[in-house]
Amino acid sequence: MTELLQNLIDGLGRGSIYALLALGVAVVFGVMHLLNFAHGELITVAGYVAFWTLGANWSWYLVAPLIILTAIAVSLLIERIAFSRVRGASDFTMLLTSFGVHFVVSAIFLLYVSAGVKTYDQPWWLANTFKVGSLNVEVFDTAVIVVTLITLVATGWLLQRTMFGLSLRAAAADFETARLMGVRSDSVIRGAFALSGLLAGIAGVFWLMREGNTTPSAGIAPMLSGVLAALIGGLGSLRGAVIGGFALGLAEILLRSWLPDGIERFTDGFVFLLIALLFIFRPQGLITVPHAERV
Amino acid sequence: MLSRLFPRTDRDIVFPMGGAVLLFGLLVAGGLLYQTILGSGSAERLVTGMMIDAIIVVGIQIYIGNTGVLSFGHIGFGAIAGYVFAVLAIAPTEKAKRIPDAPFGLAGVDMNPWLALVIAIVVVAVVALFVGLGLTRSGAQSGAVAPTVITLALLFVTHEVARNWPKLTGGDRAGLGFRVGQALDSRVPIYIGLLLALVVARLFAQSRSGRLAAAAREDDLAARAMGVNPVVQQMVALVISVAVVGIGASLEVYEVGSILPSNFFFDYTLLTLAMLIVGGRNGVTGAVVGVVVITIADETARRMGADGFEFFGIGLDGAPLDWIFRENLRTVVLGVAMLGFMIWRPLGLLDDWELDEWLHRRFGADAEEPETLDEALAREVIELHASNISVSFGGFRALTAVGLEARTGEVVGIIGPNGAGKTTLINVLTGMVEASDGSFELQHVEVSKEPSYKLARRGIVRTFQNLRLFGALTVRENVETSALVAQQYRSTEVIPSVDALIAEAGLWDQRDRRARELDYGNSRRLELARAVAMGPAFLLLDEPTSGMSDTESEQMIQQVRHMAATVGAGVIVIDHDLNFITGISDRIYALDQGRVIAHGTPAEVQSNSHVRAAYLGTEGS
Repeated sequence: MTELLQNLIDGLGRGSIYALLALGVAVVFGVMHLLNFAHGELITVAGYVAFWTLGANWSWYLVAPLIILTAIAVSLLIERIAFSRVRGASDFTMLLTSFGVHFVVSAIFLLYVSAGVKTYDQPWWLANTFKVGSLNVEVFDTAVIVVTLITLVATGWLLQRTMFGLSLRAAAADFETARLMGVRSDSVIRGAFALSGLLAGIAGVFWLMREGNTTPSAGIAPMLSGVLAALIGGLGSLRGAVIGGFALGLAEILLRSWLPDGIERFTDGFVFLLIALLFIFRPQGLITVPHAERV
Repeated sequence: MLSRLFPRTDRDIVFPMGGAVLLFGLLVAGGLLYQTILGSGSAERLVTGMMIDAIIVVGIQIYIGNTGVLSFGHIGFGAIAGYVFAVLAIAPTEKAKRIPDAPFGLAGVDMNPWLALVIAIVVVAVVALFVGLGLTRSGAQSGAVAPTVITLALLFVTHEVARNWPKLTGGDRAGLGFRVGQALDSRVPIYIGLLLALVVARLFAQSRSGRLAAAAREDDLAARAMGVNPVVQQMVALVISVAVVGIGASLEVYEVGSILPSNFFFDYTLLTLAMLIVGGRNGVTGAVVGVVVITIADETARRMGADGFEFFGIGLDGAPLDWIFRENLRTVVLGVAMLGFMIWRPLGLLDDWELDEWLHRRFGADAEEPETLDEALAREVIELHASNISVSFGGFRALTAVGLEARTGEVVGIIGPNGAGKTTLINVLTGMVEASDGSFELQHVEVSKEPSYKLARRGIVRTFQNLRLFGALTVRENVETSALVAQQYRSTEVIPSVDALIAEAGLWDQRDRRARELDYGNSRRLELARAVAMGPAFLLLDEPTSGMSDTESEQMIQQVRHMAATVGAGVIVIDHDLNFITGISDRIYALDQGRVIAHGTPAEVQSNSHVRAAYLGTEGS
């Protein structure tokens, strides 16, 4: 029982980060039908910013907001340079464009920084725990879960209660109609990228704290988790993305603890097996998104 | 049997095989020339590597090119094949050093490499079959994006498993290797593999399966409406494609003499995809050209990164350009190439241009314009009977308890103002929208729960209001697609010949043009011809004359009547133009706000007070 609770907390902590990443992927997918394989690059760039500033003895309290700002700026920049040129193109073109962006960004760091691992100081409280009954709860996990919940509530408010949120949801439901109704496509798309960058930035702060280092290809792992979680949840559904993120985090932690010794190294393999099975029996993902093509 | 698989022997077998041999010859000759001129061992290795890359890229093209679905996972499949091959083919003495504790007693296996190659291909094809189930089903459900993510995940998982299973794979440092002298030292197997890959790729593209897959690539919905089940064609393409990649990957392991998890991961995926994209993913010729172009660019970038700009002894001093000429320059070049082509030329250098198709157009025998079609003899009457059909979208009721009857040989018109639910009714009858209530029967068999491709195979075939042709396919290929489906599923019916239909539609002179290049009227006529080629029992036409001039409409009416008569089909035609509908129909249903407000002969409906009210806004007659 204790072990299960412990795992659930760990899983929620990990799932929180995935949920934020997946939500960022889903927001952009909603307005542009673009699945952003470059989403993790926001964290790559932020990782080097963290490396340089922390190396200059900045405090994490300053670095964290800087990471978030970096992610937003890079997200908007990538939209401007690459994605704005392929709006309305085929899925294929947009997928490969984002894949190309991923490679170019990581190659730039490969070329001008180095292929090596750059380490920086993690926050001193990272490994601290406190006791709740017989449970050992990490301060870090608690921080992640609390911040994520606040972020999700705030995002929900933004989407439900503001004009920007309304245009965004309208555009996600039917981009063409929304445009005809006077929703400005440029500002909605940029807004979506900014929001996506913000979410990636918040996730990135925790991700980078936990990793303690960065490399040119550091963006791959968060990208894959975010994209997979968005897909598991049901592409196009914002709620699905959040659920998918938590589901993926919990599945990873629980499998790791349940699999017998010697096999737990293959957790990723089993997770993939589960995903493959999920799509055989539920090809639309966890949440069904009404998806009708006008004929 | 062969004619079922390949529509036309000369165009679909003889020329493609000739073209594949020619491509192979050009590639080999170019490679040999290069290595002879340079005369260095590294040039020879570069050419060998290029040949193997070509096998793998052509293999990937079979899937991506024909289905239009982007896969990141083919190199992952390659890793699986490569490891199976290595574990089986490496001599037990060598395995005793590297993986003495391999599971399933694999450390003691002593196998001929060629047998190992065959087993590797079988294993990876089985894995593809399993992964493909989820892949194609999710793709059918939510578009081309989901399969791409699943394949990407596959790439990562094979990599992770390979790294974490050192007992079998030797892990990510030592890896697996052949003993010195045991690796492949002849290029002959690579040549055979390459020729095989080219022939298979070209034949598959021309085969029934490849053509149906390409139709679904161009327009998934229209393909379903023509009886194509894209899931099946994508599975076939995936398994064949993965098998070819498996050959390439095994040969790569055999030739290099070792395998590490990192050999078959992101870098190789980027390289092979860049080759395919730059050359042109929709064609085999494009794939080969891409391999050559990217090999040259990659090698140039690698050298520049290492030594600055220096070629064959001539060159510039690299100093002022140090910020470019750095190690790892090649990754930037590949990434930028991919990005640049996606933004400015997404279909690559050659698009779907094929060497053998070009040769066939120049030298192939051309058919003569066929005679026009005879109208079919009276056939057994088939009835379509829909009752009580209701559809709601959220809170909006598009159709309420609509009933409809039609039989072969007659023309039924459905009329109503915009938003009356006409198209929704056709969508229900063709399985594209599910009715929330009610059902319909074909020849007294309930078929309302069947997917659209099955309904099409039963003979309910439609056209679309907003034109859905297979754009990149030629006029003839468009019609051939449905003829291929009809051949298999409607063989008991009268199926008009493809050429005769094209001539009948007045498109004979344009038969080799791409459908997307046609003007509006011709596009409409092509859509009609494509539907008739199914040998339909019922032809459902959604505003067939919208946007046409009066004379064109008149001509269209004649064509609809004549073509329907040649296959003995019943016609259900919808329009909002009362004159057009009364001119063509035997019976008419008038719809308004999702309900049938009148039905009967044209004269009856025209004089009906509800119809007049809906149309003219006046009460009474």
